[in-house]
Amino acid sequence: MIQDTVTEDIIMRKPKFIAFLFTTIFICFFIFDPSQSIVGHLLEPALGDPEKSGFYGRCVTASMSAVLLVLNLLAISWIPNFRLQVITVWLQLLILFLSFFYSFDLSFEFIRSKIWFMVTQGIFTTLYVSAISIVIASFIAIIGAVAKMSSNGFAYAIASFYTSFFRGLPLLMQVYLIYLGFPQIGYVIDAVPAGIIALSLCYGAYMTEIFRAGIMSIDHGQWEGSRALGFKFGLIMRKIILPQSIPLIIPPTGNQFIAMLKDSSLVSVIGVWELMFLARTLGNKTFNHMEMLITAAMLYWMMTMVLELIQSRIERKYKKQQSR
Amino acid sequence: MKLLKPLLGTLLIAGLLSVNSANAGAVLDKIMSSKTIKIATDANWPPQSFINDDNKMDGFDVDVAREIAKRLGAEVEFITPNWDVITAGNWYGRWDMHVGSMTPTKQRAKVLSFPAVYYYTPASVAVHKSSKVSQVSALSGMKIGTGTGTTFELYLNHDLVIDAEGAPAFSYEIDNPVVKSYETSVVALDDLRLGNGVRLDGVVSSLPTILEAINNGYPLKVVGTPVFYEPLAVTVDLGDNELNAKVASIVAAMRTDGTLTTISKKWYGVDYATVK
Repeated sequence: MIQDTVTEDIIMRKPKFIAFLFTTIFICFFIFDPSQSIVGHLLEPALGDPEKSGFYGRCVTASMSAVLLVLNLLAISWIPNFRLQVITVWLQLLILFLSFFYSFDLSFEFIRSKIWFMVTQGIFTTLYVSAISIVIASFIAIIGAVAKMSSNGFAYAIASFYTSFFRGLPLLMQVYLIYLGFPQIGYVIDAVPAGIIALSLCYGAYMTEIFRAGIMSIDHGQWEGSRALGFKFGLIMRKIILPQSIPLIIPPTGNQFIAMLKDSSLVSVIGVWELMFLARTLGNKTFNHMEMLITAAMLYWMMTMVLELIQSRIERKYKKQQSR
Repeated sequence: MKLLKPLLGTLLIAGLLSVNSANAGAVLDKIMSSKTIKIATDANWPPQSFINDDNKMDGFDVDVAREIAKRLGAEVEFITPNWDVITAGNWYGRWDMHVGSMTPTKQRAKVLSFPAVYYYTPASVAVHKSSKVSQVSALSGMKIGTGTGTTFELYLNHDLVIDAEGAPAFSYEIDNPVVKSYETSVVALDDLRLGNGVRLDGVVSSLPTILEAINNGYPLKVVGTPVFYEPLAVTVDLGDNELNAKVASIVAAMRTDGTLTTISKKWYGVDYATVK
């Protein structure tokens, strides 16, 4: 939250804005025709059968829905506590979302019978493939970043060619190229190693740029000072430059890990039984595709939420260290 | 730079460990000595092959694969790569055999070999229940969905050559369709169920798959008689003639002693193992 010094009037207190809001919402509802919705059914005693209420019913239900929505927004605006406000809006959006899925008429029994397997097989595979890849990618990124800043033309050329190539190709294509291409030169690699190599190389290329930017942000004077004291390259890096640049590198690296968690779904094309693969296949026999897709979506979402929490913890920790 | 050395070393060792012998002719020896066979199949094709309630591979193809392995005296391990990775050939020993309802075509025979046809499935056209189409030829010029890289797609593109023995002749009944290719034709059925002409006017797929979808409440119907009969074969990589001969004799024995018919009746309720 930005701490502003000027406090403006709350927009929900302006009658003009509320009128404008109401009209817009009313028009939207009117177009989508809510006479068959829950509101329409609740108004049944007054309007009669929702299917036969016609234009009049449509007007009444649309205005009723708009009134309810505007009242809800007003109520939220009266909540004094910022945190409480956020939680309320979150809960409302979540309930809206879930009821949207609920309206698909999903077979929850089927989801219950499959969810344990999706966690033990799917999430487990997704997590370990991503975790190994992010570690390798970090190593590649350190080496790549150093090479990209080097005055050695050879090292710079290799590093810049690498980042250009692997950032320039779709990850899916890299997965295929590594899985199908390596055997052509005599190395037959299995699906999981092939996927890990593809993810590491691709994300290594992105992270090279992150690491380079992190290292470059340390004032050059520190480098000159260390050199003046007679320190060697490796020592300066380990003891002076990296400790200061790591707090800058960690947040975007966390972002990359979250992105990789989802991109690891591309490995499913070469037959790794990770979460995306299971989402596509488990529902096939009984044609419960929607169930599995939504379950997997929720699982991915939960995983990223946990990771976001961890990331914000780490960020806070480094912030404390810096301010000390 | 000290980090670089162990890293390269591990990568190299990992690479070397996973190198399998891809020597031609050695596949059968490898199966016999290790007593295991890696069989590739698809996890997306009920009732041929799918993941069952116990989260294990199951289905018609899977049963046939298990029986072949049993008669070879080997344990099965199933692998589920994407269809296009299988049909690309050059397996380099990643898996030894593929039992997954593959039609032997001339193009595929350039990179794969087909030792034995084990059953024939009718390929049919499905439309939405509300569709007024009553014969296949009425779908000319309309939006037809199917799986990419399948014989159904080749049929729609008027480019299908079936050169297996005993396959009945066929003719192209749909002219100039707008072909929409999906990852599998099951996804096409999902689009067709949205309504007549919403995204698709029809889907070409195997009759058992369409019937299975209808059994599971898809609002679809089958149009006319099957457009062609697909012979479906066991597939192995090029080069091992001993394995070819062995598989051919095993499948022939399974046909004569009625095992194939039994498995077919178990999964389809009909005998697809012999030509009509």
